[in-house]
Amino acid sequence: MNIPTVKDNETEVKVDLTKEEIEGIKDLMNREPNATEWGMFDIMYSEHCSYKSSRPILKSFENAVENYEYVLAGPGEDAGVIDIGDGYCVAFRIESHNHPSAIEPYHGAATGIGGIIRDILCMGVRPIALLDPLRFGPLRGNPNSQWLFKYVIKGIADYGNCTGIPTIGGEVEFDKSFENNCLVNVACIGLGKIEDFEHAPSEAFYPGDYVVLMGGSTGRDGIHGVTFASRTLTEQSEEDRPAVQIGDPFNKKLIIESTLEAVKTGYIRGLKDLGGGGLTCAVSELTGNGDTGATIYLDKIFTREPGMTSFEIMLSESQERMAFIVKPEGLEKVLDVFRKFETNFAVIGRIDDSKILKVFQGDKLVVNIPAKALSSEVPVIPRAEKRPKYLDKLLVQKTPELKENLDEIIYKLIASENICNKEWIYRQYDHEVGIRSVVKCGEGDSGVLRLIGTNKFLAASVGTNSKHCYLDPYEGAKGGLVEACGNVIANGAKPMAMVNDCNFGNPEQPESYWFFSQAVKGMADFCKELRIPVVGGKVSFYNENEATHTAIKPAPVIMIIGLIVGQENIVTLPFKCSGNDILLVGETKAELGGSEYHSVIYDMEGGNPPKVNETQVKTTWNFLFKLYDKHLVKANHDVNKGGFVITVTEMCFKNNLGANLDLTNCFDNSLRNDELLFSESVGRFIIESEPKDYEKILKIAKKNNVHVIKIGILISSLEINITGIKNSKDIKLDLNKMKNLYDFTIPNIMEI
Amino acid sequence: MPIKIAVVQFPGSNCDLDAVHVLNEVIGVECSLVWHNNFKEAEFDGVILPGGFSFGDYLRAGIIAAHSPAIEQARIMLKDGRPLIGICNGFQILTEAQFLPGALLQNESLKFICKWVNIKVENNKTAFTNRMKLNDILDIPIAHGEGRYFTDNLKELEENDQIVFRYTNQKGEITKEANPNGSMNNIAGVCNLEQNCLGLMPHPERASEEILSPNGTFYGKLFFQSMIDFIQKRL
Repeated sequence: MNIPTVKDNETEVKVDLTKEEIEGIKDLMNREPNATEWGMFDIMYSEHCSYKSSRPILKSFENAVENYEYVLAGPGEDAGVIDIGDGYCVAFRIESHNHPSAIEPYHGAATGIGGIIRDILCMGVRPIALLDPLRFGPLRGNPNSQWLFKYVIKGIADYGNCTGIPTIGGEVEFDKSFENNCLVNVACIGLGKIEDFEHAPSEAFYPGDYVVLMGGSTGRDGIHGVTFASRTLTEQSEEDRPAVQIGDPFNKKLIIESTLEAVKTGYIRGLKDLGGGGLTCAVSELTGNGDTGATIYLDKIFTREPGMTSFEIMLSESQERMAFIVKPEGLEKVLDVFRKFETNFAVIGRIDDSKILKVFQGDKLVVNIPAKALSSEVPVIPRAEKRPKYLDKLLVQKTPELKENLDEIIYKLIASENICNKEWIYRQYDHEVGIRSVVKCGEGDSGVLRLIGTNKFLAASVGTNSKHCYLDPYEGAKGGLVEACGNVIANGAKPMAMVNDCNFGNPEQPESYWFFSQAVKGMADFCKELRIPVVGGKVSFYNENEATHTAIKPAPVIMIIGLIVGQENIVTLPFKCSGNDILLVGETKAELGGSEYHSVIYDMEGGNPPKVNETQVKTTWNFLFKLYDKHLVKANHDVNKGGFVITVTEMCFKNNLGANLDLTNCFDNSLRNDELLFSESVGRFIIESEPKDYEKILKIAKKNNVHVIKIGILISSLEINITGIKNSKDIKLDLNKMKNLYDFTIPNIMEI
Repeated sequence: MPIKIAVVQFPGSNCDLDAVHVLNEVIGVECSLVWHNNFKEAEFDGVILPGGFSFGDYLRAGIIAAHSPAIEQARIMLKDGRPLIGICNGFQILTEAQFLPGALLQNESLKFICKWVNIKVENNKTAFTNRMKLNDILDIPIAHGEGRYFTDNLKELEENDQIVFRYTNQKGEITKEANPNGSMNNIAGVCNLEQNCLGLMPHPERASEEILSPNGTFYGKLFFQSMIDFIQKRL
């Protein structure tokens, strides 16, 4: 790797740039940049800021703003924004904070939350919900994974709870590949009037406007956070701990309130948060987007300690800072808002029409760069991709002959870390503050929020199945979409838009890059076909173990926002009434590859993973919405890890119901018993309906060509009885035992 | 004169807007959000100290807010017999300001807990419980990290009927399992001797609308309706 060193004021600056990039920058500048300028180019050219490895692939997502009328902001903005009617818009985004969390879980996760809140806030809207998709190594017998798990969750809880933004959902996967590289993804949803969003563009268009920095003080923490995140974690990464920022959720709460009040004054003309890349990134994007220039005076900036160099100030990633572009006539009004909330602020410069970013420290001009040079597209680095050979072997792995009793297998599955109750996590999150949470954690597949002042409800879900993606990233990523959409649909919502967070290994390795490229292609194809706009995304590369050179299992984490109109159209997960029918919607295929069954029972990763048939997915969704229109569905839960018996079990718990299942009719093909019971074929749902509606539902199913089988009825005793299994005795499951296994897996590991 | 209620907003309050919503939209009285430095008692008939993390709960939960000028204003209201309720962080502020006896310590589990619990009404004579029946079981959510009630004056509190709510199971039994945070004698809320000041850890503003409750209840409304009744009787 090229690490040129530059000397300036006796400081040596190391730069993570390629030879070509260095020459390109010199050409752009027509001179040799000084140390501060090198530092600025360095962070703007980092993978984190520039997407230089991922951009060519991400182009396969269609242009959401052009192709969907209700999309107000799409990829490239701080957050995706959609118009939900009644004058309101919803902003949402997902981010990753994997590297910092892997070495400092508490602050890494907390500042991840802090960052994503700022991304939403700088769209001018109020952050109203958080969701956290997480990935760790298996907990049992693994103190390091337990440590990461405990403190990541504490970090999220302490930060989110204090800011008054409810954490309404999330998902977690445990897999060996995440042992040294846990994934901490954070998602945030914002709600506001469309005019608030329009008041907060991330550009500085008008010369003469003031640049105001508000919030936390600028310190030496987090310098080079983005370049650190754009490398593989190594033994030496521990030394990078100072590159992890420290969050202050109390300050963030004040920043939220004062920013929203400042936007309401009408004097804000541009708004940008200081996140990765700090002041450099904020100011260069504001001026670059507005085709203007600016003069910034570093002496005005409130620093945490004296003697900070221009290099340190321009590159600091200290948390809790926002940059405002303010109309001159409204400056005092805006500053009064900040004074009321007693947040720190400084007028640090003015916008001009020079198209040059000039930074002074004292009288000395320390930065003099064309504004566009930093914000325009960094040259792409073409990456090779190659399908890994080992996949051939994995894909043809055969499921061993059944050795154990099926009931024992089901008990093991319900207790597995990937399936069991996640209450231990969400009890620590304030998921009700804001009094919008209608379907709360544990009550549905997605979190459902009411939008006060309208009759609309927002459903949000996150997820992916990394075991499936590992075997087939193209189909696996599609499957993740089917699942995330299925989650909001199960609650009655129509999927409106998606954002994704692509967590992959080192892009310089062709095999890692292939996973990324295939996953993006899968998502792009699916979204085009199902008409779901992709309104934003994030790429996190270099998630691999340096010692073993093994990458994490690919995790293209998907977030879906759905909309429900009318409270009567919300559907929930728990079974409601004894005597009602249990229907399985969607076809079960011999798709045990990457299943929880393979992993828990055989410690096996291979096999034939689920494939997605878009036409079938589409007809299934349409079918469900037809049933919803007629209010024929009493409960709904999408079939997920562990197969449909697990799904039925989860639906039984809340209202103390049981089930008699007769699977005779399910065996019209050549499925083995374990394939039928534990296959994770995507796009399936378990629904509850009244017996009187059965014929009606079947008719609608037939007309729409959807596979629906009545698999049983609800009973009032706490057991699940399964009959009609091929050449095998009937199964009787004790629901009290199931509930205990489901509830206590995580507490039994964590509460010692 | 229409009744006017204030919700005091401290830096770091985060259940303030929720309380304002319930008072304005659910109860239907005039309720304003007032920045703590600007709070003037003379303008209001009753006051709510909302939940949240006032001043980041730095130093100790509620202690910095207890020194806000708003607390001196609230003291005047209390002396005058007007009602004051502290919810969650508001309760912590009230104990720190010594308007209410006792203290709120870190939960026994050392973790933040967000869940719906049951509480039993043990005093229905206060300004905020007069619409309830003695021994009523209410379901209501809690969300706190420091809610373990402690006092070294338990006997006096009991003799003076200052224990307003205790955590119970669904049947109304005061058990260890029903105690979410390790509070002494399952205490969830206490009042002052005059019974016009109530502090409690559970959140009535989150339990005032049927749509928000997992069980379709809305007992939280009773707190605010009681307050309005109390004010009307005074006028």
